[in-house]
Amino acid sequence: MFAQLIQDPPATAINYIQNPAAPAAIDEFGQLEKLASTFHHVDGLFYFTYAVCIFFFVVITGVLLFSCIKYRRKTFDQPPASNTTHNTPLEVVWTVIPLIIVMVMFAWGFKGSLDMTTVPFEASRNMYKASAKQWDWTFSYPNDPAVSYGELWLQVNKPAGFLLESKDVLHAFYMPAMRVKRDVIPGRYQTLWFEPTEIGDYHLFCAEYCGEGHSTMYTKVHVVSEADYQKRPWDVWDDSTPAAAAKSGRSLYDRICFTCHSLNGTPMTGPSWKGLFVKGPDGKITGGQREVFVGGQKQTITVDDAYITESILKPDAKKAAGFQNNAMPTQALDERRIKGIIELMKSLAETN
Amino acid sequence: MSHDGHHSVVIPAPGPEFQAHTVAHHFDTPVQEFQAAKLGFWLFLATEILLFGGLFAAYFYFHEMYPETFRVGGQQLDWKLGALNTTVLLVSSWTMAMGVRSAQTSQRKKLLMYCGLTVLGAAMFMVIKIIEYKAKFDHGFLPVFGGLGYDGATGQIAWFKDYGGVMAGVPHGHIFFAIYFTMTAIHGLHVIIGACLILWIMKGAAKGRFHAGYFLPVDLVGLYWHLVDLIWIFLFPLLYLVP
Amino acid sequence: MTTNVPTIEQHPPAPAARKNFWNVSSGFMSWAGTLDHKRIGIMYLIGVSSAFLCGGLFALLVRLHLWEPHGMLFSNETYNQIFTLHGAFMVFIFVIPAIPGSLGNMVLPLMLGAKDVALPRLNLLSFYLWCAGTALAILAIVLGGFDTGWTFYAPYSLYTNKAVVSIGLGIFMLGFSSIFTGLNFIVTTHKLRAPGMTWFRMPLFVWALYATAILQVLATPVLGITVLLVAFERIYNIGIFDPRLGGDPVLFEHFFWFYSHPAVYIMVLPAFGIISELVSVHSRKPLFGYKLIAFSSLAIAIISFLVWGHHMFTSGQSTYALFAFSFLTFFVAIPTAIKEFSWVATVYKGSIALNSPMLYTLAFLIIFAIGGLTGVILGALNVDIHLHDTYFVVAHFHYVMMGSIALAFFAGLHHWWPKMFGVMYDETLAKIAAVTIFIGFNATFIPQFIMGSRGMPRRYATYVPEYAPFHQASTIGAMVLGSGVALMVYYLVASLFQGRKAMENQWGGVTLEWHTPTPPPLENFEEPPIVTTEVYDYSTLDLETMRTPAR
Repeated sequence: MFAQLIQDPPATAINYIQNPAAPAAIDEFGQLEKLASTFHHVDGLFYFTYAVCIFFFVVITGVLLFSCIKYRRKTFDQPPASNTTHNTPLEVVWTVIPLIIVMVMFAWGFKGSLDMTTVPFEASRNMYKASAKQWDWTFSYPNDPAVSYGELWLQVNKPAGFLLESKDVLHAFYMPAMRVKRDVIPGRYQTLWFEPTEIGDYHLFCAEYCGEGHSTMYTKVHVVSEADYQKRPWDVWDDSTPAAAAKSGRSLYDRICFTCHSLNGTPMTGPSWKGLFVKGPDGKITGGQREVFVGGQKQTITVDDAYITESILKPDAKKAAGFQNNAMPTQALDERRIKGIIELMKSLAETN
Repeated sequence: MSHDGHHSVVIPAPGPEFQAHTVAHHFDTPVQEFQAAKLGFWLFLATEILLFGGLFAAYFYFHEMYPETFRVGGQQLDWKLGALNTTVLLVSSWTMAMGVRSAQTSQRKKLLMYCGLTVLGAAMFMVIKIIEYKAKFDHGFLPVFGGLGYDGATGQIAWFKDYGGVMAGVPHGHIFFAIYFTMTAIHGLHVIIGACLILWIMKGAAKGRFHAGYFLPVDLVGLYWHLVDLIWIFLFPLLYLVP
Repeated sequence: MTTNVPTIEQHPPAPAARKNFWNVSSGFMSWAGTLDHKRIGIMYLIGVSSAFLCGGLFALLVRLHLWEPHGMLFSNETYNQIFTLHGAFMVFIFVIPAIPGSLGNMVLPLMLGAKDVALPRLNLLSFYLWCAGTALAILAIVLGGFDTGWTFYAPYSLYTNKAVVSIGLGIFMLGFSSIFTGLNFIVTTHKLRAPGMTWFRMPLFVWALYATAILQVLATPVLGITVLLVAFERIYNIGIFDPRLGGDPVLFEHFFWFYSHPAVYIMVLPAFGIISELVSVHSRKPLFGYKLIAFSSLAIAIISFLVWGHHMFTSGQSTYALFAFSFLTFFVAIPTAIKEFSWVATVYKGSIALNSPMLYTLAFLIIFAIGGLTGVILGALNVDIHLHDTYFVVAHFHYVMMGSIALAFFAGLHHWWPKMFGVMYDETLAKIAAVTIFIGFNATFIPQFIMGSRGMPRRYATYVPEYAPFHQASTIGAMVLGSGVALMVYYLVASLFQGRKAMENQWGGVTLEWHTPTPPPLENFEEPPIVTTEVYDYSTLDLETMRTPAR
């Protein structure tokens, strides 16, 4: 492992850091991001507990510092100012009062968590599906055939429910501004809901460690007005010309494919896309040659649209030589988006 | 080791064929030594029970999740061989108890005989276990010889072939056998360790180390053997009968 | 019986140069095959200190890497291995064995008036299991490292192509090392107390180690079987934790935290014990609420078995489970608060010596107040949903693990250093180091509280740029902390070569370990002690022993 110890920052990380949501606004007490959902009880209890903590901390530290100054041992044989070994009323007080305080916190927190874990009726009529895999999210919208990748749009002031699923390992759906978090567990569905109350862009992080790309599993969430939401902004996919399709494909690459594939020839977890297609002397773009493993047998094939499509939908069918031990998750892209990816690959072709 | 002028306590041998026992230097009395070792060993047995407790928790968890798998899986086991093994272990527990008794009454030959019988019981248990494992292997349920790994494309687990297709109708048929093999293999390992400990006792007994004045190791190995027996008493009904 | 040392019957010391456990025998085998608890304690001390320095080095690499949002030093893959190594080394190889293995081994039999621990061979075996476990962890690094986080959550730990089996078996061995230490301490405490040493005359460090030992014996086997199952899963695909094969990763979380929550108390209870001792000695005042502190250790030990679910509030447990786990979690706060209040009450109106062990102790009291109180914030169900797996949690448990436990370990090390080695370190440097470590520690982790409450998730190799100022402040703090630790290592090691002789009773303690020559002889006491006075009775202190150099 030490061979790879020092190296340039990975291109992937820069890519995702270049375009995050704007820094979150901070609330009036300066500790939390400004709340953008209806879960006020989280902030309420947080600051209540915080105040209690500060009170006890000041008392404890105050007594300690006061004692250290007042009762410092000045002579070698100085006896203590008092030899008290217990004080029953005092001990009862400092047992019972904290007990009462923590029981208040418990009840408050439990009531809040009931609110957060019980999906209300309106949210259950407005269910999104968030599907996690290493290392990105795919979102389906209520009553809408289109999906979005690595980007999500929500309508303001409308409770949104989420059905969470994982295709591989543990992930967690975490939106700090909404105060919601839920582990996404392979093999079972989880639910979550919240009602966004402020228009704006927000972070969606993966909060459960999921491997190499854990920190790049980032989604920008747009909370928009009802009018904007009706325009179905997630279904923007311009493929009117090959160049436009390649541009659309690039935007998809920047959200998903960049974690494993480079565009400049650098091998990453997966092969680079550069050189998949080559440009002939006449400017005509044709498929290049590739060595692949089919069921353990090495073959040479010519790259074409069918091969790319198969590699996206069934990554294990033909595995590029040199990468046959790395697993690529199936990417359930629709036809137009696969076409966009292919156009992007073709736009990388150079004359050799 | 230097004793700084302290003299250790010595328990005399009760007869010419026995050896005296010197109490370890940091104990004041033989009783203190005996009680300390005994308490320590009981605590060790507690850790053993908790170790198996994790496996039992997994058993109950998956029994709850896939009851049908456990029902069909349990039918693949031969409860007659299991019952035979239970009898063998119960009898060996009795011979071990008699061995401890012989040590306490300074009967060296009887101690050797009973320990020998217990080792014989352990060997019989393992032979029957191997016969059972062989049958599972023939049905394609045995992990060791089937290879390793899991093929994501076909969903095939290398060790779980299920030639007869008996588990085909239930969800995740391999889980029952995974738990069966894990639990019985770890238990079998304990049987082998126990048998080795008893052989070690026999070696000491042959030299006359154990007698009415000092029978601590015999006592502790006896406790260990009873624990091995006890765990099987739980394994047998859970794996063979309950499903 | 002399009037000024009435705790034990003592004869005038022999005039010839005394034999102690250092010079009674020599040669490699006299150490490698020793059954003496003090020598085993010294070997543990060397081992765990090296592990701490390794883990600390990994921590500094982590902090340096996070100076820039896209990560300054490593690829994501390497970063994941480094933070995993930091966690695994610190938790399994340093913190869990540190205090019981080194200071506990050294001091517990002395405090009880025993000649050794009850089962010395098991004690040595426990040390060698620790060595074997550490060797397997190092082997795992050689075999390609491991990148699962110290929690080894399935199914990622099943799929990653790293050396998880090796480190898993290492942890299995480290677990049994810990079990055997605990088992030994329980038996020693029950069976080898000196005449007159009743349960309520035992020093609180012994009480704390006893409560710890119960947890070690009862919780660790579950970790053992869990890592074995992970190893089986990786080798055979048995399907217990693998969701592709019908297994349940949440079952792994339950198994793991059933051990690892009590493990938090395996780590922190000995630290409480050290602080109880030191607060009393350096305030020269009987401990306030002795019985309440002793019982609160046991209460914490028992309740800690019932709160593991609070690590899984976001895993989708049933409402009933959430209710029970949150309720019981708040309950643990009470005995913990009682301890903190009792320590502060002990300091109040004491005769406070502001020497280096006491400075570390005061640092502990302040830092543990923050660590404990932020734990209360995390116990609330709805707030935890927001803060779970963020840097807030990271900061909270570092305030407990590093700020409290490691500082208590340092405090105990400084306190018993003259007893163990018979030499004194440079007090001025020690005070400078204590203050540096305190400042550096807070500078490292207070920014992490803030960015955590603003949503910065943990275990991130890269992060969105708005958190950069906090990460940079934290990195600067870590460098200050690291230089404080380096200074500490320097003067402690230097004291072994050029330190002046320590006093027979350097700090004026009255528990039994201060009633035997410094350093102690092989059999611990020249005459078996008989206890006739209550614990922490400073009216029995012979001030002359604080001025008599050790021979």
